[in-house]
Amino acid sequence: MTAYLLNLATLSAIFGILAVSLNMLVGYAGIFSMAHAVFFGLGAYAGAQIALQVIPDVLLAAIVAALFAAACSLCLALPALRVRGEYFVAASLGLQMLASTAFSQAQALTGGIGGLVGIPPPMLLGLDVSSAPAFLVVCLAFLALCLIGIRLLMRGSFGRSLMALRDSESAARAFGKDVAQLKTQAVAVGCAMAGLAGALFAFQEAFVNVESFTLEQSILVLAMVIIGGVGTLAGPLIGAVLLLLLPAGLSFLPFIPPTDIGSVQQLIYGLAMTLLMIFRPAGLAGRSVGQR
Amino acid sequence: MTALLTLNGLSKRFGGLTAVQGLDMELHEGVITALVGPNGAGKTTLFNLVTGNLTPDAGEVTLAGRTITGMAPHRVARLGIARSFQDLRLFTHMSVRDNVLASIERRAWLWQARGGSARRDATEAALERTGLLSLGRARAVDLSYAEAKFLSLARIMATGARIWLLDEPASGLDPASRRRFTALLRAAVAKGVTICLIEHNLDIVTEIADRIAFLDQGRKLAEGDPASIMRNPELRAIYFGERRE
Amino acid sequence: MLLLQLLASGIQTGLIYALTAAGFALIFGATRIFHVAHGATFALAGYAFLETAVAGVPWPLACLVSLVVAVGFGLFMDAFVYRPILRHEGSFFTVFVAAFGMVVVVQSVLELAFGRSFVSYSSTLTRATAVLPGLYLAPIFWVIIAVTAAILLLTGVFLGRSRAGIGLRALSENPELLRAFGLSARRLSALAIALGSALAVPGAVLMAATSGLQPSIGPHVMLISLAASIVGGIGSLRGAVAAGVLLGVTESLVVSILDTQWSESAGFVLLFGFILFRPRGLLGQPVPR
Repeated sequence: MTAYLLNLATLSAIFGILAVSLNMLVGYAGIFSMAHAVFFGLGAYAGAQIALQVIPDVLLAAIVAALFAAACSLCLALPALRVRGEYFVAASLGLQMLASTAFSQAQALTGGIGGLVGIPPPMLLGLDVSSAPAFLVVCLAFLALCLIGIRLLMRGSFGRSLMALRDSESAARAFGKDVAQLKTQAVAVGCAMAGLAGALFAFQEAFVNVESFTLEQSILVLAMVIIGGVGTLAGPLIGAVLLLLLPAGLSFLPFIPPTDIGSVQQLIYGLAMTLLMIFRPAGLAGRSVGQR
Repeated sequence: MTALLTLNGLSKRFGGLTAVQGLDMELHEGVITALVGPNGAGKTTLFNLVTGNLTPDAGEVTLAGRTITGMAPHRVARLGIARSFQDLRLFTHMSVRDNVLASIERRAWLWQARGGSARRDATEAALERTGLLSLGRARAVDLSYAEAKFLSLARIMATGARIWLLDEPASGLDPASRRRFTALLRAAVAKGVTICLIEHNLDIVTEIADRIAFLDQGRKLAEGDPASIMRNPELRAIYFGERRE
Repeated sequence: MLLLQLLASGIQTGLIYALTAAGFALIFGATRIFHVAHGATFALAGYAFLETAVAGVPWPLACLVSLVVAVGFGLFMDAFVYRPILRHEGSFFTVFVAAFGMVVVVQSVLELAFGRSFVSYSSTLTRATAVLPGLYLAPIFWVIIAVTAAILLLTGVFLGRSRAGIGLRALSENPELLRAFGLSARRLSALAIALGSALAVPGAVLMAATSGLQPSIGPHVMLISLAASIVGGIGSLRGAVAAGVLLGVTESLVVSILDTQWSESAGFVLLFGFILFRPRGLLGQPVPR
């Protein structure tokens, strides 16, 4: 039972990072990405390869994963600069579908459908952090770093510029904002954090494959952000914990056969997304989504 | 006297529609010029051509002798040309103070260390002069119409821009607010700011402007001091004829 | 001959996509609602047909049931999801998330009700025979071509000639004009959604009868119709149809060069390329940036 709870807590921290970083794109920069799982995946594969080929150091893997994901984030920044609204959502969906296929096909880098197995237990600067409580602490520390980082950024001129852009792009331009530069940076930071979360995920599971980086995962993370509340610091965290607890909670209900839990979970969060948008577009703890 | 901003043979077409045609104009330092003309005369298009939101089909815009034609809007802004919008375009979900602050932060790398306190001072000064200091923490979306108009001006004041392009800045204000607004513009001009504004209300125009440029169907029909333009019966016919429809 | 065979099956899938994309494009063109739940409409229509037909109901009646389900779902979305959101001026993303939520809901309901695996409906129409040496075609191939042509022709005539059709086109271009004609924008957008949803039915029925259905067909069709309407040029019905066929054929032909895994992605490469280099699509208007 303890092991189960520790696992849940660690996953909450990891998905917390993922949701918080997506919220930065959706809530502050007005970049509605449906491809966040792609960068989670890129980070996971990069982190796993570092652990397998070089050294299973969490810090190194996390840094490499973040940099790699940030570099690849140009794939998302490019359409974000060219088009917006529905077109950008479509482009990010397209990117997600392409990446899923690429992940399952690039046998040499990702292990294909089978994935990368046998990721060694994590170390941190020579210390063994492979025990469940130790790794939970590591993940929480990374989560705290990400939260502090985002808070500093959003409180500063960068955050104000992003929000100005979100509220009125033309006015932001008229006041000297370089929109391309701002959006590219925002996407890079958001994707870097997703990559970092990916590296942690790889260590936690000791195994990664394409299943974790599909459209369903992107939707799940988006649901976390939406349900928790867009544009707030705590909202996405609450959303992440809620949606991770959901399958666990459902498994206690005797009348749901275990094979249907996945579907019931989807049913609940799908319904939650729709109902929230109708009755409380601000989410459980937040302001309205993408108002202009 | 040399002009600060010069428009030379500026033309812009949208499909088959001519918005601006062969327009020449000069803005001089410390002068308030009003653009007047019926709807669709090309006034806002003219602003967009200067600020880089539109690229002219022909002609040239020069700022203090340097050509800025076709430059991206944010670069034009950084050269000291600030503008307001008819529909204001405030940063609606940000506080009043952040609206002003965000308008003067240009180099948005992840961190912008230098000059923070100078920008804060400029922000407070602009809020104080526009009478918005007590509303600093309110969200822009919650402001009254007049307050929003003053915030739109505060954003421009804080930038320290040399040239202000204002799109119907005082329309819809009550007489008292309008007097306050005019005083702010006068004070800015006294310090060397150059202002060009679009205005429909001729009372406001005569009250504020030093010069009037009369536009119709993308052409400049006349330019001169307010009294002589207002007396011109032909221009009055065009202006009021259009308006009465 | 393999190439010809792939081309034939590409056209077959492409026409089904074309019909669905046409519905999506019609709705988006008229109402500016990014109706991603169109995929859910498709899935519901397909399952409605399949379940009634398998239960022994004659197929024309099953098609009718499917039509009722599709139009009903579309109108439900309009009345209970889009209207309330648009009333308090929700942004496009609010609408998108709400519609997307329904796609997820419908998929999971279908999974719970009918299981996750493939279901299909076979009849003599679907048994392939050799038309040419090496080219196998089922009679349904010709049915699909005929049905698609007929329906698109009818839709075109309706939009071009009828009063309501002209109203639909005016809805997107000039809502002011509508008032002059005494047409209600609300009722017209409901009509657009009903009509667009109806256009998903033939595709759904044909897919149930050819390649079969599974609950995840909803998101899949949603992605395809979205891709087709963007590649074709948003708002352009003809563009959506052309792009639907193009996507189907591309998906199918890619198999001759790459692994089958890439077949679905090929369409998205196309989509991504169009968004980056020609966002207005094949036949669309320039995109306001």
